[in-house]
Amino acid sequence: MARRVLSLILAQLNMNFAISHSRYYYLKKRQRLWEPVLIVLGVGGAAASLAVGIYTAASYYYSTAAAIGQEAVTLTLGILLSQVLVMILGFVLVIAVFYFSNDLAILIPLPLRPAEVLAGKFAVILASEYVGLVVFVLPVIIAYGVRADVSAVPYVLSSILVFLALPVVPLVLAAIPAILLMRVAGLSRRKDTLAMIGGFLFIGVIVVFQFFVQTKAPGVGEEAEFLAKMLATANSLVYIVGARLPPSIWATKALALAGTWQGLWNLGIFLVAGVLGFVVLLVIGDRVFYQGVLSGFEAGARKGAARRAGKAKAAGYVSRSPIASLAIIEMKLFTRTPVFVLNGFTGFVMFPVMFVAMFLMRGNPEMARLWDVLLAVPAFDAIGALVIAAYFFVLAAMSSIPFTAFSREGRRNIWIPRSFPASAKTIALGKAVGAEIMVALGAIPGIAVLGYVARLPLASVAVGVVFGVMSSFVLNLCGVLFDMWRPMLNWTDQQKAVKSNLNVVVGMLMGVAVLAVLGLAVNFLINLGLPAWGVVAGVGGVLAALLAALVALLGAVADRLWSGLEA
Amino acid sequence: MSGASLLRLEGVSKTYRGGTRPAVDNLSLEVRAGEIFGFLGPNGAGKTTTIKMVVGLLRADRGTILVNGHDVARDPVAAKADIGYVPDNPDLYERLTGIEYLNLVADIFGVSREERRRRIGELLEMFELESAVADIIQSYSHGMKQKLALTGALLHDPRVFILDEPMVGLDPRASRLFKDMMRSHCDKGHTVFFSTHVLEVAERLCDRVGIINMGRLIACGSVEELRERRKQTDETLEDIFLELTEAGEAK
Ligand SMILES: Nc1ncnc2c1ncn2[C@@H]1O[C@H](COP(=O)(O)OP(=O)(O)O)[C@@H](O)[C@H]1O
Ligand SMILES: [Mg+2]
Repeated sequence: MARRVLSLILAQLNMNFAISHSRYYYLKKRQRLWEPVLIVLGVGGAAASLAVGIYTAASYYYSTAAAIGQEAVTLTLGILLSQVLVMILGFVLVIAVFYFSNDLAILIPLPLRPAEVLAGKFAVILASEYVGLVVFVLPVIIAYGVRADVSAVPYVLSSILVFLALPVVPLVLAAIPAILLMRVAGLSRRKDTLAMIGGFLFIGVIVVFQFFVQTKAPGVGEEAEFLAKMLATANSLVYIVGARLPPSIWATKALALAGTWQGLWNLGIFLVAGVLGFVVLLVIGDRVFYQGVLSGFEAGARKGAARRAGKAKAAGYVSRSPIASLAIIEMKLFTRTPVFVLNGFTGFVMFPVMFVAMFLMRGNPEMARLWDVLLAVPAFDAIGALVIAAYFFVLAAMSSIPFTAFSREGRRNIWIPRSFPASAKTIALGKAVGAEIMVALGAIPGIAVLGYVARLPLASVAVGVVFGVMSSFVLNLCGVLFDMWRPMLNWTDQQKAVKSNLNVVVGMLMGVAVLAVLGLAVNFLINLGLPAWGVVAGVGGVLAALLAALVALLGAVADRLWSGLEA
Repeated sequence: MSGASLLRLEGVSKTYRGGTRPAVDNLSLEVRAGEIFGFLGPNGAGKTTTIKMVVGLLRADRGTILVNGHDVARDPVAAKADIGYVPDNPDLYERLTGIEYLNLVADIFGVSREERRRRIGELLEMFELESAVADIIQSYSHGMKQKLALTGALLHDPRVFILDEPMVGLDPRASRLFKDMMRSHCDKGHTVFFSTHVLEVAERLCDRVGIINMGRLIACGSVEELRERRKQTDETLEDIFLELTEAGEAK
């Protein structure tokens, strides 16, 4: 049994990190060597600078916290935040990896217990989480170790164990509701819809929870009085948090008291909690995991087939222009894939929830002050228009929809658009328009809340929406074009197509670049002494110019990229 | 056979990135209007590679490919508009319904509303897919997916109908229908180009066959011509195929 599971886990990890795949292409065939170099340099550089930033922040936080003898809060906060992150990402990851991996149809016929397959898949997720935690939590642990008076050997040993056990409990806490959700959803005919709604509910609950915890603990670098208050409440924070996620307290004590019996005791509880959680997951999973997977193999489409067949005859033959048709199909394919929706639409749901939470908390003195400051900003209506435009832009950047337009087709389906007698420009535009409609529709709830809460005049909202559509379309075009050049088609589960896709990172960088251009433009226009609305008009001009340039670029290069794509 | 040339390959070669030997090596052939052309060869001979180059999924390293006179490299859109393509593995958009997929294809190929109503109706009836067309493609059997792919590829009545291993997965009835359909498609002055290793079908159905081995075209002509050339009139296509491809192997 152990051997079997181990070899399953190793094979899963191999596929997940494309180890044999990379060895074959980069080492044996020595091709596209610039790719790993680029990945190492780009991602490694970004991760390293992020890690250094977190180290610095943790070190600074330590100093302030140490002033009142609460330095261990540094660890608690770092561990807690990373665990919340693991939980949010983990939930979607569990659904994607457990239920929508390409290899499930291969694994299930094998003589393995559901729990064994589940363990293999769990290992995949855990491994991915470790990669993230190296960047997010390791710097905090190191910063604490460097600053605090700890005995080196026990601290390092405890660190390793705590680090390894860190994501297990939150991942189990995300995985159990996820597999129960998929089990229940599997009973229903609308299982995809149910899975998506359940997923967003989970994310919403975690976001609200996190929001309330966080407003009680303002971040580093705030005003001095905030900081003083935070430090005064440091203990209460630990207990608020501890009451909900005690493992973060155990982990804190295991590290801070490393080398003492109390440290060892806490380390023990922390590890046992992880193991116990995992065992509970396996026990539950062994009962319900396969049922959820198997119901996913049955397309839930038989419903009303006869009725709809008639309808298809009557109303099915609508002819549309190629761009419209491609845009509609892009939306259908995206919205009918739960994993894409859970990833891509998170921002659409998360921001309105946050806005509402902020609004509801306007009674809170700090929040009230924030609102007063905001509403007192001069030319608030003009700025409000830009804020709304920026909201579209941020949603597009976060959605990863345009940057994966072709990647999502995957090896299996890319032949379909590629055999269409449509110019690459048409195909790219179809995808970009589809992405734009999804982003624009997704922006409505957030904008409604924003507009209402900030009491923006209708004109500001209207201008903001127009500019928002323009700015997000700029980003959509950039993203679609880039993804046309280098789509990631070889994914093993849908999650990889939208999350472990370098193009998404590139897309965010493009977003930053576009924002920089716009920022420079705004700065320039303000220096010209234009009134606020003049600046807004100027931004519109810049956006229009960018759009025109991109459409021209599309015409110039798309065909070459499209025909150069070998799949 | 003296119809217009609908598909022409001239000196086409392709080596996969990192590959040591060409998957397709200096291949030339021509298929004329009204012809059914069978593209034969053992596994790994280069059939799929050739077809992918014709339909624009791969770029040829050398040589030219003309589809109804349109150069695939220079004018891909016009070339694709004349092609109906069914890949070896009919992976379709699992999350669309059959009719949604067909409408997409019809929109892209610019099939008018009346035309699509007529042709979709006809093809679905022929393949007995009418009752499934409102269902999501994920719920289809392999053969149903293949039939849907065939329907999609035939919607615009393509001049050049290209199929990669089409017989795999069709039931006897569908396979019969399909053969009749290829014939009538050619009788309209179009052309059918398909790869296979089912030699009986090729022998009965094809006006001409080409045999490819290790990327090279080693024989081309009608089955009679091949027999005559070898001066062994009692040989089946299978005999010819095995001898030719083994000879290639030995070299
Ligand atoms: N994507 C690919 N990458 C590298 N080599 C490939 C790829 N596809 C096919 N080949 C190689 O090209 C040759 C021809 O393959 P293919 O055209 O698929 O053969 P056939 O369809 O005749 O069975 C084989 O040697 C195969 O290994
Ligand atoms: Mg093949």
